[in-house]
Amino acid sequence: MTRLHRDTLVCLGIALGSVVLLAWVIPAYTPPYPGYGASPALVPNVAVSIMLVMSILALVRNSLIIWWGKADSSGESDYPEEGDSASFTQVGPAKLMHLILFMVPCALLIPALDWIGFIPASILFLLVMQYLVGRRTVVGPVLLAVAMSALMYVVMRYGFSVPIPGT
Amino acid sequence: MESIIAGLLDSLSPISLLFVFGGVALGVAIGAIPGINGPMAIALFIPLTYYMSPLAAIGFLVGLNKGAFFGGAISAILLRTPGTPEAAATSWDGYPLTQQGKGEKALRMALYASFAGDLFATIVLVVIAAPLATVALYMGPPEMFALITLALTVVAGIGSKSIARGLIAAAFGLTAGMIGTEPVTALPRLTFDIYQLESGLSLIPVAIGLLAFSEILIQLERHVGSGGSQGSATHFSSRPEDRLVAWKELFDNLKTLFRSSLIGVGVGAMPGLGAPVASFLSYDQAQKRSKTPDKFGKGNLEGIAASESANSAVVGASLIPLFVLGIPGNLAVAMLMGAFMIHGMMPGPLLFEENSQLMYGVFGSLVIASFFLLLIGRFGLKLFCKAVQIPAVILYPIVIFTCIMGSYLGQSSIFDVIVMLVFGVIGYFMRKFDYSFVAFLIGFILVPEWERALQQVVITSQFDPFMFFTRPVAVILMLLVLYVVIKTFVGNIRNKGYKETRA
Repeated sequence: MTRLHRDTLVCLGIALGSVVLLAWVIPAYTPPYPGYGASPALVPNVAVSIMLVMSILALVRNSLIIWWGKADSSGESDYPEEGDSASFTQVGPAKLMHLILFMVPCALLIPALDWIGFIPASILFLLVMQYLVGRRTVVGPVLLAVAMSALMYVVMRYGFSVPIPGT
Repeated sequence: MESIIAGLLDSLSPISLLFVFGGVALGVAIGAIPGINGPMAIALFIPLTYYMSPLAAIGFLVGLNKGAFFGGAISAILLRTPGTPEAAATSWDGYPLTQQGKGEKALRMALYASFAGDLFATIVLVVIAAPLATVALYMGPPEMFALITLALTVVAGIGSKSIARGLIAAAFGLTAGMIGTEPVTALPRLTFDIYQLESGLSLIPVAIGLLAFSEILIQLERHVGSGGSQGSATHFSSRPEDRLVAWKELFDNLKTLFRSSLIGVGVGAMPGLGAPVASFLSYDQAQKRSKTPDKFGKGNLEGIAASESANSAVVGASLIPLFVLGIPGNLAVAMLMGAFMIHGMMPGPLLFEENSQLMYGVFGSLVIASFFLLLIGRFGLKLFCKAVQIPAVILYPIVIFTCIMGSYLGQSSIFDVIVMLVFGVIGYFMRKFDYSFVAFLIGFILVPEWERALQQVVITSQFDPFMFFTRPVAVILMLLVLYVVIKTFVGNIRNKGYKETRA
């Protein structure tokens, strides 16, 4: 899949999302017009309409380029041109797996704080993160995990006096 | 006059000095780490400022931002991996000097240039912000509505490679900013009946997710993909002429420093352009006006002076539209605006009326931060060079953990952590598909003010759209909006045509 095709798919997603917002979300979750001033739905409708119009324009442009067989590098010229731009904008299954791999421990940390407490959950989380990043030793990661968790606990509890999650 | 003196004295209080000093030192250290920049640092540290006085908080964040701008030059010069985009031009001449063993000299030149640009811009800000704010007080709701529309369009158009993607991102930010309680009816809007959303999405988790967490996700991808390669450590020559910048060399670059600082102030005062534009533009000007343009890119101190003074001048100058009009022109300033709002103040012309003592205290802190930057850079340079060598396998888990705890810290809310994670993923895809998160964040921050202005216009005009035509300034601003949209569209088409012709 070329970047142009991917961009087209993203625009299609934005257009569909905008339609859902305009047709369902905004009418269902906006207060009724109070009888004075602008309607509470006016600004959300304007903002989402901008998203819809712009994504449709981009869709039309991309479709014309694809239709005329110009889906070569010229259609990709307005993407970031960094040294490793090819891998930067890539969103294949491997990249998505990578994203999920790092997001799962972050999402699990939230209930884990309640299940096993702040310090054990934080230590476990930092150990998993270091392993995922590629740190394969034992002593260093354990020391870092314990030190960071303890430091955060002390800062939150005694520095800012905020309730510690999971305690 | 009384408030000016009281404000300046506040900025000289030990606690304020301590926070400004800490902010600058932390900023230099953080900015030196490749991949961490000023806005990211501000987003991560805003939660801590909840517990500080307004002046200490703003002084700390301003110092952090100033320090991070200079810190970005350290990794650019030593590793040719700019910590910030605006430091890229610094690496063109800084890294060749490092290869010649003159890294310390390059760093010192970067420091002096940063100090010069920063101080110049701060003086300009102090001199013109208050008088301009007095003029801005005459702007009514139609002008404010038109001005915010213009700012959003400029940020969406100039700040993005494609105006369509820029406007989509800005509109998305506006939509996200409207979640919460509707201002006229005081009833929940777009909350999906989730009670935590009734007070709206908090800026801190949104900013941490978009700026810091998503950036780390992208960097992790690259790091794991590249096998975790690190930059090499550098060697400094011990000869004085390779370590120090001579007075003659400094005087030779005075013209460049002044011109580049002026460019930085001009670019910084305009929303949407940002420090990278100032840096590249002044580097280009310095090369064009140099007697030895062929030496640029091979280790020329003038190149470093041009780039660093311009990008540091942007820091102070970008506060002009914030203080005068309440409009943030770039990410770092958007974050600072968030900090003002957290402390119950709305940046804009009224700030000088309502909090004049604080504002002059902030001005004092800005000037003090410039001198602290020189002091810290002068005596701690070698220490901060160590920051570039922190291994990614240690850094990334710490930053991720800090992102999570930082987003919790703001309101002691686990819901904010979830918001941060969601916006981290949104930011990841925005970066992947090149949708401007600058436009998103500025839309997100400005939407309450924009909607308030619109409601005031509608109520006072009783739905008369021709009301705008009775306000010449508003008409001019709306015409400028049209001009920016058309110009950016035409520019995009021309660029495409040019590239196709070249192909």
